[in-house]
Formats: sequence, C-alpha cells, structure tokens
Amino acid sequence: MSFLLSRPFASEESLIMVLPRFSQLGARFLKESGIVSFIGMVRYMYLEVEMVSYTDMTLWITVTFVDKDGEERVIQVPIGISMLEAAHENDIELEEDPADEENDMLDLAFGLTETSRLGCQVIAKPELDGMRLALPAATRNFAVDGFVPKPH
Amino acid sequence: MATAKQLSVLRRALPASRLLSTAAASAAFLSVEDAAEDVISMKGVRISGRPLYLDMQATTPVDPRVLDAMLPFYLSRFGNPHSRTHLYGWESDAAVEAARCQVAALVGANPKEIFFTSGATESNNISVKGVMHFYRDKKRHVVTTQTEHKCVLDSCRHLQQEGFEVTYLPVRPDGLVDLDRLATAIRPDTGLVSVMAVNNEIGVVQPLKDIGCICKEKGVPFHTDAAQALGKIPIDVEKMGIGLMSLSGHKIYGPKGVGALYLRRRPRIRVEPQMSGGGQERGIRSGTVPTPLVVGMGAACEIATKEMDYDGRRIAALQERLLNGIRSRLDGVVINGSVEHRYPGNLNLSFAYVEGESLLMGLKEVAVSSGSACTSASLEPSYVLRALGVDEDMAHTSIRFGIGRFTTEAEIDRAIELTVKQVEKLREMSPLYEMVKEGIDIKSIQWAQH
Repeated sequence: MSFLLSRPFASEESLIMVLPRFSQLGARFLKESGIVSFIGMVRYMYLEVEMVSYTDMTLWITVTFVDKDGEERVIQVPIGISMLEAAHENDIELEEDPADEENDMLDLAFGLTETSRLGCQVIAKPELDGMRLALPAATRNFAVDGFVPKPH
Repeated sequence: MATAKQLSVLRRALPASRLLSTAAASAAFLSVEDAAEDVISMKGVRISGRPLYLDMQATTPVDPRVLDAMLPFYLSRFGNPHSRTHLYGWESDAAVEAARCQVAALVGANPKEIFFTSGATESNNISVKGVMHFYRDKKRHVVTTQTEHKCVLDSCRHLQQEGFEVTYLPVRPDGLVDLDRLATAIRPDTGLVSVMAVNNEIGVVQPLKDIGCICKEKGVPFHTDAAQALGKIPIDVEKMGIGLMSLSGHKIYGPKGVGALYLRRRPRIRVEPQMSGGGQERGIRSGTVPTPLVVGMGAACEIATKEMDYDGRRIAALQERLLNGIRSRLDGVVINGSVEHRYPGNLNLSFAYVEGESLLMGLKEVAVSSGSACTSASLEPSYVLRALGVDEDMAHTSIRFGIGRFTTEAEIDRAIELTVKQVEKLREMSPLYEMVKEGIDIKSIQWAQH
C-alpha cells in the first residue's frame, strides 16, 4: 500500500507514517516490493497495530520520511535493531511521551518493551530520520498453529 | 459423603446452638462428657469453649455487611464477568467495576489503576518480579528492608538467583527504616524500592511520605506492601508518591482469597505478568475475576472508608487498656517496635524471664500469635525481631496481640487476666527470675557445659 504525493504539504499539516496490519502475507508483499512508504493525507488514523516479526535477517525495510517542506528521505533499515539504539546512534530526539490512551493500547500488546510505541502514533519528522524499528514475535491473536488471516 | 455423616453424628452429640465447621467437625474428637461440658479437645489440648480471637494480623472475620454484599453473587448473579454476550456477564462485570471504584476510593487512586489478584502475596510477586523482569535490561538492583513480609523477601531471593542484586536494608531498633541509608542505597540501576507500610509482626508504620519523596527525586518506583495498612491508616497514593501497592482482602474484614494491586498510570509503571492467559485485568493478571470475592473486597473497603476513624480511636483505647492492664501487674514487659509510629491494633510484647513455648501453651484460651520458632513453619524464630536487635530469648517470649473492629473490652480484660496469670506462674517456677530478683546479672553468668 503506498500513497503518492499529489501536492506539496502545507506546513501545518502533519505527516503520518502508518504501518498497516501486517500478516505474514504482508511481509512477503513487502519483501517483493522492497518499499514501505506511507504518506497519508489524513490527520491521523487510530489503528491498533499488530505486527509480525521477520526472522529473516536479510529482510530490509525502506522507510521514507517526508518533512514539512516535502523533502523525501528514503532509508534502508535492517530489521532487528531497536529504536532506542538508533536514537542513541543518530542523536535522534524521540517522540514525546505516549499519552494515556496510547499506553492503554500498548498494555495489551504482545512482546511489549520499554520503548514500544504504536506505529500510528509515530509521526514523521525530520529529526526521526534513521529511525529503526523492531517488531514483536507475535500478535494478540492465538495463531499458534501458524494460521494467517487474509489481508483486508 | 464421609464428612456429612461425621457432622451428623457430632450434631447429635452437641447442643443445637453449637455448630462446628465441617473441617473442625471431622478433625475434632468428642466424648460424651466433653459434649455435655462444652469442652473442645483438639491437638491434645482441652479448652472450654472457643478461644478469644486476638490475632487480627493473621486474618479477620468477615464483616456481616460484606457477606451480605457477596452472597447474591454466589447464588443468583453468578455470571462470569468476562462473558460479553448475556446479562449474567454484564451484571457481574458491573459489580466488579463498582468494587474496583470502591477499592480505588480508599487509597485515592483512579479505578483504572487497580487490578484484582488472589491476594497480597500474588500482588507482591507481580510487583517485585514483574517490575524487575520488565526493566531487566536497564535495572538490575532492588532495595528493600529486612523486616518485609516473606513473599517480598522470597521474591527478592528469587531475583538474586536470576542475577539481580538486592540490598536488604537494616532497620533501627524501633523498627523504622533509616531514610539516609535508604537514599544512599539507591543506585542509578535501581529498579524498585520496596518498603512495607505497616509491619505484620510488630505493627510499626513506616514513613511512607518521606520514602515516596526520596524515590520520586531519584526516579525509582516505590512499592509498598499495604496489606496490614489498608483501611487502618489513611493512604493516599498521590501524596505518598507510591508507584505500586499490594492490598489484601482478608485483613480488612473481607473474604480470603482476594487482593489487589495498585499500579501507577502516570508515569506508567509496567510489569511482566506472572499469570499468562486470556488477558483479563488488562493482561496484568489473567484468569477469571472472582466476582463474589471482589465484591466482598469492595464492600470491605467501602466500610473501611466510612469507619476507619471510629475504629482507629476505639482500637487505640483498647490497646491502652491492654497495655496498662498488663504493665500494672507485671514488670519486665517490653514492647517490640516503635511506640509512637505504630498501628494501635498490633501490640507485640516480650515478657522477660519466661520461656516462650510454655507461655503459648498456657494461653490456649486466647488466640494469639508469637515470634517464636514453634509457630513458624520453618522452625526459624522471627527474623523481624532479630532485625530489631531483640535477643533470642526475648524473641521467643514475644506475643502478638491483634485488636480489631469486633474486639470487646471484656475480651481484652480476660486476655489480660490469662496473660498475667500465666506469666506469673511461669516466673514463679523460673530460676532465672529468682536470680534476677536477688540482683544477679544474668548476662555475667558462666553456664556450665554438659
């Protein structure tokens, strides 16, 4: 899923990087397409993000950040590195503290860590260039038999 | 059923007004003369009638008002609160949420910060192990005291096995923790400070507000085991800077088998759950929430909110009465723990020159507890008294009197009688006491080796 830029962004509009609900099917899609870039024109979407981790270490995600001036930056990101390490390495300012509602949703996520955030709450900013994300090993659903729901 | 049969046999032997619980009935052996005289014979001891209950720190009777609140949820509104599709589930869930609000109101918390567990032991486990496991990458150190409850100390020892470091702070002879030592013990990698609010053995109340201040400055979560404090001393989680708190139902005239955990939301403190499952209680504690027990705990908390002041004053007066009654007739009575910073319902006394186990044997008509080895499952004498610096012989003679909402003045007077009589009798027989009376210093005696 990718949305193309149709016009330059006004400075007040915020850009949201939205990670959709992935299934392993989605992962394969990403592997093939090689690009994950989501620039939404909407203000915000409150999605509960369910993510599946890729154990294949050769899989990379390209994350594109677009700043308020419309400048695109495409970054190749290897999977398995935590955001905090990236912040420390690249001197990136982390997003402001999660609000109560975000924390409430995070409480219910599998594989929660100290630095977990909801993907829909991480807003693209110039300072976040170089951000790297680690995805949890499973979702809230009990698909221990490996069942993968069709993407919708 | 075997027990029902035994019970019916016993019922015929007993007058109708005396009903024993099934467990007691099957365990007790009653002869015909015993039944006629109202004597209970159990574990080789014969006593006339049931003992006076002065052991409120061990457990408390359920307040009849609490039982009233609980019964409908056993008999007619018995739904599972997590059933989302029918009335039984909805009403059960509504009752659980109402109880959550009642518990939260007693401690000044938001209802979203209260999670129901099976008791304070489970809440302590979740607090200590859960917090440290969640932050295990950054935080490797825990600070606690030597007088904590066994569940906290055992959780800390378990963490030590896993490679964490734990500092067990000593306490002053009056049982209070030294705030300077606490402040210096906190390190950058300290993940938790755990100090109990009211000690179960000696009744000492720790300076929660000061400890909370120190922890807030240093940015360390402050956990307190408030099982004995809930409903007895005013607790305000905001003013006291408390991050996690363990609560118990059966210490405040509620049912046994239920407790709660307070977990701060701002700043959010996270724990790794100790019970995995369907994600009930926001994933913190999976498992069906026991509606009747939780409703009981809520009702008990609501009653405590209203009656804490009155109970406090009444119990303080009863404690005065007990202490004066004993002290006016006996010397060599030592109060273990601070006299000023103490919850009045807990009075732990040591009687000098008296052998502890014989004192207990003589006090069978009063249900009390002691710090001696014979009352501990591990045969270890009280580590709390040892932390206070109490000598082993004094620790052995310690008796803990627990006064509660339903204790009457007559019970206190009778307890004084029995205690004084027993202590006098034992001192009469004691050669040590004779020597002290003659002015010999016991500590200077060289005992002969056999």
